[in-house]
Amino acid sequence: MRISRLVVLVLALCLGTAQFAWAQTLKVGSLSPLTGPYAADGNDIANGVRAAIKVVTAEGGLPGFDKIELMAEDSACDPRQAVAAANKLINSKVVGVVGAYCSSATIPASEVLAEEDIPMLTPGSTSEKVTERGLKHMWRICGRDDDQSKAAMAFIQNNLKAKSIFIVDDKTTYSQGLADNVAKLSEAAGLTVARDHVNEGDKDFSAVLTKIKAAKPDVFYMSLQNSASGALMLIQAKRTGIDAAILAQDAVYHPQLMEVAKDAAEGVYLTFGFIDEDAPTFKKFLAAYEEFGKPGAYSGYAYDAATVLFSAIKAAGSTDPAKVRAEILKMDFQGATKKIKFTENGDSGSNYIIRQVKGGQFINYWDPATGKTY
Amino acid sequence: MDYFLQQFLNGLTLGGVYALVALGYTMVYGIIQLINFAHGEFFAAGGYMGVILLSFLASQGYMDSHPWLCLGVALCLSMAYCAMLAMAVEKVAYKPLRSSTRLSVLLSALGMSIFLQNGLMLTQGVYDKAYPTEFTHGSITLGPVTISLMQGLILGLTVTLLLTLNFVVFKTKLGKAMRATSMDKTMSALTGIDANRIISVTFAIGAALAAAAGILVGLYYGSVRYDMGFVPGIKAFSAAVLGGIGNLYGAMLGGFLIAMVEIMAAAYIPHGGEYKDVFAFIILIAVLYFRPTGIMGENVNDARV
Repeated sequence: MRISRLVVLVLALCLGTAQFAWAQTLKVGSLSPLTGPYAADGNDIANGVRAAIKVVTAEGGLPGFDKIELMAEDSACDPRQAVAAANKLINSKVVGVVGAYCSSATIPASEVLAEEDIPMLTPGSTSEKVTERGLKHMWRICGRDDDQSKAAMAFIQNNLKAKSIFIVDDKTTYSQGLADNVAKLSEAAGLTVARDHVNEGDKDFSAVLTKIKAAKPDVFYMSLQNSASGALMLIQAKRTGIDAAILAQDAVYHPQLMEVAKDAAEGVYLTFGFIDEDAPTFKKFLAAYEEFGKPGAYSGYAYDAATVLFSAIKAAGSTDPAKVRAEILKMDFQGATKKIKFTENGDSGSNYIIRQVKGGQFINYWDPATGKTY
Repeated sequence: MDYFLQQFLNGLTLGGVYALVALGYTMVYGIIQLINFAHGEFFAAGGYMGVILLSFLASQGYMDSHPWLCLGVALCLSMAYCAMLAMAVEKVAYKPLRSSTRLSVLLSALGMSIFLQNGLMLTQGVYDKAYPTEFTHGSITLGPVTISLMQGLILGLTVTLLLTLNFVVFKTKLGKAMRATSMDKTMSALTGIDANRIISVTFAIGAALAAAAGILVGLYYGSVRYDMGFVPGIKAFSAAVLGGIGNLYGAMLGGFLIAMVEIMAAAYIPHGGEYKDVFAFIILIAVLYFRPTGIMGENVNDARV
């Protein structure tokens, strides 16, 4: 009796594993801060990839694979954790990685992935260095810091016609880099520049805001790497009675900003990549994303990053990095967020515009390319 | 001068918050010589209870008709909730260790802090929770300074709570029993004071004050987060040590001093904003170097609640 049972069991097991071998699963990775202060953006990124998987699967999937599986790893916006997570993804044999979020985590993680020739597509790292290291398998969907600060400066000069600016950053690589760029451009343009810093994670900004009120600048450039800090600062700025025009950037861009700051966020300007929200590709993304809630700042970019990877694999008919790379470089299509055509170094071009919070919504406000209000 | 007054007001507001939290540290230390590292978590729990209650009241439409009444109700309920939470924590984490070494109680406090913070994270999520702040945006201009409604509310409530606490500790029978227990637990027990009950009440009062501070901060800054208790906890602990741990007036003074140093450093020293914590702790170290018991502290054995 016993032996026959054992035989049945072994046979069942063999059949089981055999079936697994037939059903090929394509594994794709995502790297983003799923916990900690940047968790909101990090989860948006993972969900963007999930939405892309949903769409690709609904459209017939990828040839040779029955299923696409996402391995969402937590980079915590920390270089060491990002490298550990990248190694974990390599061990799981992912065919590509969407991520990470903070440039300071993206760069070391990309070095590890580059050794294995695994394609990495970042939806949200804006530092120039990300694509300027000559990595063969590194692409960027969002814009670049240098372009972003130029767009901000064009707005400050040509639309706001400002004479003085007060710049506050929170000392992260991202926020300080942008603040430095804007300060340099402002000085070159002959504006009176004042600067101060706060610490990441600070909650009380009363001292620095009182300073800004006393300085009476035309523009308050709020350089923070977090929409939550941005909301806190806006609420306190309103209470302090600052009437300078407030300009922030893409890391502050998140639906949560208005949820927390409410009417204190009204009228704030932000630099963000132009998204044609009437385009059918964007509507398709919105429909796929619906189950995850409102898309955040980087949901669309993550969706596009994953779409690029899947279409390249489909076109190449293989997951071989060299073939995938060739296909990615050939690409020229309208994604959900922007027209995607990569340059040799991996950038997809910046299309920063100024958006404004109005009636609890982000609306298109001003285009630096044409100098026109929408 | 206007600028100075405005910054002074900012310092007072922040100081009020630190003082309210510091009182809990100092009271608990005064009575059982324990540095209750979980105290900052009561501050966070109070802030969360406040946002939950106010959001509920807002969803029922009461916030639009009676915002201040709603705030009062939320304040009282979350203070009561944190008082009970603190008594429970004391019963579970500190009472069984009362006769063991001080180090094990301290570790138990640290463990409790991590436990409570993670509990808050798991039940409430990692995102910021927004307070309904529409009704707190107003401000009054008094001559050269602008006092925002929230600053007025924080200062007013802080002073009221401090006076009430002062009355309870120095003018009532309960206060007398608390002071007696802090001086000598055994002797006071012999005179018929239930030391366990007094310790419980001390925890409850301290946590209620922290909860009030939590709500005020939530309203002032507009949102709360699961890890909001950590930094104010450390600051308030330093404030209590600076003032002389175990001394009520010392805790208040320490709270206002630390906040004032932080704000003035950010206001007047170039790059002060990024180093404000450094300045606050330099003051702490300097005071402790010259006066190890803190500004108003006495010999630790004579420490009074």
